[in-house]
Amino acid sequence: MKSTKLNNPPSLFLRFFRWFCHPKLRDSIEGDLMELYNERINEMGKRKADLKFIGDVLLLFRPGIIKPTEGYKNLNDYGMFKSYFKIGWRNLVKNKGYAFINIGGLALGMMATMLIILYIQDERSYDSFHSNSPVIYRIVTDWVNPDGSVRQHDGTTGHFQGPKFMEKIPEIVRAVRLQENMMTFKINNEVSDLTVFKVDSDFFEMFSFPMLAGSPKTALKQPGSIVITEEKARLYFNTTEALGKILDIKVDSTFHPYQVTGVVRNIPSNSSIKFDFVVPNIVSKDEYASDENWFNFFQNTFIELHPSSDPRVVEEKMKKVYEADASVAIRMMKEKYNVTEKTNYLLQPISDLHLSKLYTASNGLKDASDPMYSYILSGIALFILLIACINFVNLSIANSLQRAKEIGVRKVVGGSKINLTIQFLSESFVICFLAFALAIIFLPICLPIFNSLAVKSLSFANLINAKLMLYYFILFAATGLLAGLYPAFILSGFNPVKTLYGRFRFSGKSFLQRSLVVVQFSLAAFLIMATITIYSQFDFLTTYDLGYDDKDLMMVSKYPITKNQLKVFKETLEANPNILGVAPTNGGEWRTVAKVNSEQEIKFQYNIVDNAYLPLVKIPVVVGRSFSPEFTGDDSNSVLVNEAFVKEASWKDPIGQTVNFWYRNQKYNVVGVVKNHHFNSLSQGIAPQLFLQKPDQIFGKVFIKLSGKNNQESLTYIEKTFKAQFPDFTYSYKFKDDENKQQYQLEARWNKIVLVSSALTVLISCIGLLGLAALAAERRAKEIGIRKVLGASIINITKLLSINFLLMVFLSFAFAIPAAYFASDRWLSTYAYRVNFSYWTIALTLLITVGISLITVCSQAIRTALANPVKSLRTE
Amino acid sequence: MKKYQLGEFEEVVMLTVGVLYKDAYGVSIKKEIESRLKRNVSVGALQTALGRLENKGYLKSYEGEATEERAGRPKKYFQITAYGKRALEYTKETREELWNAIPKMALSLKVVG
Repeated sequence: MKSTKLNNPPSLFLRFFRWFCHPKLRDSIEGDLMELYNERINEMGKRKADLKFIGDVLLLFRPGIIKPTEGYKNLNDYGMFKSYFKIGWRNLVKNKGYAFINIGGLALGMMATMLIILYIQDERSYDSFHSNSPVIYRIVTDWVNPDGSVRQHDGTTGHFQGPKFMEKIPEIVRAVRLQENMMTFKINNEVSDLTVFKVDSDFFEMFSFPMLAGSPKTALKQPGSIVITEEKARLYFNTTEALGKILDIKVDSTFHPYQVTGVVRNIPSNSSIKFDFVVPNIVSKDEYASDENWFNFFQNTFIELHPSSDPRVVEEKMKKVYEADASVAIRMMKEKYNVTEKTNYLLQPISDLHLSKLYTASNGLKDASDPMYSYILSGIALFILLIACINFVNLSIANSLQRAKEIGVRKVVGGSKINLTIQFLSESFVICFLAFALAIIFLPICLPIFNSLAVKSLSFANLINAKLMLYYFILFAATGLLAGLYPAFILSGFNPVKTLYGRFRFSGKSFLQRSLVVVQFSLAAFLIMATITIYSQFDFLTTYDLGYDDKDLMMVSKYPITKNQLKVFKETLEANPNILGVAPTNGGEWRTVAKVNSEQEIKFQYNIVDNAYLPLVKIPVVVGRSFSPEFTGDDSNSVLVNEAFVKEASWKDPIGQTVNFWYRNQKYNVVGVVKNHHFNSLSQGIAPQLFLQKPDQIFGKVFIKLSGKNNQESLTYIEKTFKAQFPDFTYSYKFKDDENKQQYQLEARWNKIVLVSSALTVLISCIGLLGLAALAAERRAKEIGIRKVLGASIINITKLLSINFLLMVFLSFAFAIPAAYFASDRWLSTYAYRVNFSYWTIALTLLITVGISLITVCSQAIRTALANPVKSLRTE
Repeated sequence: MKKYQLGEFEEVVMLTVGVLYKDAYGVSIKKEIESRLKRNVSVGALQTALGRLENKGYLKSYEGEATEERAGRPKKYFQITAYGKRALEYTKETREELWNAIPKMALSLKVVG
């Protein structure tokens, strides 16, 4: 045998064999060849053995033996990943509680973020569905003071801007004016007031509202045509084939037939232009001739530019056209009303409309929104996601003790730091993926709740969207990295010798872990304080003494209602013992400007009332007297003002002062001062207000005071009376206290949103804390065993285990209180009447946070403290 | 009935692996076939057959010891799997059925002839 050692087969062929042979077979076959070769040398000598060897090698050169051309090695590390995922999965299954906290928390965070992404996407998608939305602009105005500062940004325009600019500027392809109006319809003998859009005939060519019936080109060409939505067509005619059907609409007090010339598909929810009915806008020749209409702003004008034109150039041209055409009007305004501001016409792209703060979507355009909502909501979603990620980081590191040996072994057998980092990252991706899947499953379930909170009508269909899916995928990847990167980095850095030596303790300083808990609880405490602040402000607003009595005070709108009509109406109503009084006023809020102290101009809101009004709504008169039938001049030259008015005019003795409505040449004497009261929202202060009477006033609204007993019966009585007296008018009513509450809908909504999100953050933070406490208790099980053996009481041990966590919670307040104080104060400063950020808020938050975390931590601490020390000490 | 695909040479290799039981690796199989069947077997043909059988799941292999005369290369031992055993049995049964059928065939041929 020894002699064979020196014998080598022909090296060329051996090398050839090694080259072509499949690596998996190479060693064993080479072994066979060598064994045979050596035997043959002994049997028949080297020469023959060499030849036989060559023959064998050549015969081996066949398909089953030759290595495949495309490579034999797994070029990817698929196998390793398979192992990572398997180990990751087993770890999850092993630590079910830990997995639950991580996956549940991340799923909540991801879902919150997904909902917000959906929200933001919907907000940004407004009005972009029009096929030519990139070239549609709204004409907006800046009112510029002589010194160059902008006094007011305005989104509205009048009759002129659209047609006059289009006439002179060739870049403008179309101009469409859009005016929202209430019109009275008579349908099946039922009278109702409905909102109608008056538009120019190009409306359906500029905007993409697809028609189910009728032609977009001609539908609005004829006066007396009306285009309705699919929904209304089904409602009134039971079909979408409604062309040629008739709707009766009141024009100048008689009903005229309008012919349906088009049925459009229902308006998408992300449209600023939302209508049920559209009629052609007819501007009379007289109005078009009056130059003053350059200064009448009440509607929206949209223009469509030629695709190649530059909106800046068009703006320049608009300026020139305006200055040339309106020069007479500008001069007249200056002389007559002392208007010194210049009007600058600008173009606002239609896609900017929805979220614009300067030029809001108003005067018929719906759903104006503030980008601030998007920011706040995304902030909250990120809070929740961040807290969930912190849970992941903390728990992974705290749990690393269990994995230390595994890490050590992997390193010993050659796993590099990068391999381990990849391993732990892939584990975090497994967890994130599960959380992601869970979030996706629960997303459609939570959508209705979110819709009601955010006042959106997002549906499942909104979710199926390639761009959104891409964002969600990015969210998934980002969460995986955010949560996984740090633990992966730390765990992969373990020293293998230490971990395998057996006495490894990853105590570190756990500085980061602690600071992350502090961050979590700061966020939670911040949100709790925000919730309490918003709630107390909301409570303050809704229970504030408004200075008048809005209880059982009902408002019925009716325009016009003459004094005689009112008299009949009032007498009929007051015959009912449950109706305490009836008093009319003008419809809507009227504002004007008048002169006091001979030249001082004062701006105020004014109401035209009758004698019954002030006593009915219980507004007390503090100086002088109220309107009274005993004074004959009251209905033509007496006014009452509020205290704010007196202050503004700086009157020492208000009675007998003169208010000069100079532009209509009327002077009034102040006969009384009423107490300040809040007719408007409490977000505004009390502005000067004035009450006056007019002998032949036509009113628009009637206040009716009910006794509060049998309100339902009184309501039917009022409705019957109204319908009998005014058969051609729509009956609708509102209670003043409901209306007042509705003003604070926004606050109520934010109250709910912040409440839900703070509940979520507290929940996620606490389950994270629970996990940490459990792991800490587990890690110190032996120590506690020894302490117990040496005589420590349960209380001692509970204190020992929970004090650290409670300290962190307290520390978090150091950050949360100033932040919450500044944020609350900024928010509250938008209200004229507001609560203050109080110590109660802090105390209550402290109670909630510390209470919940105490329960969380102590439950674990007590469990450990109660355990039998023998158990923990016996196992090694 | 293409349930068990087994060529003639493959069958021989498998039976030999069975004969050698714990000692079946490249060279021993080759020698066993050569001595029992008196035919030359090239390493290439044998290895290809073994590879194919392993792929089919009839044989399984494990690495054995490396000896000096093999220049430190490990031996690759083969074993018949349960599936492989069934394949062998099936082949044997079909052969036997055919054998059993022959006398009748021969008789009937004589009658006709």
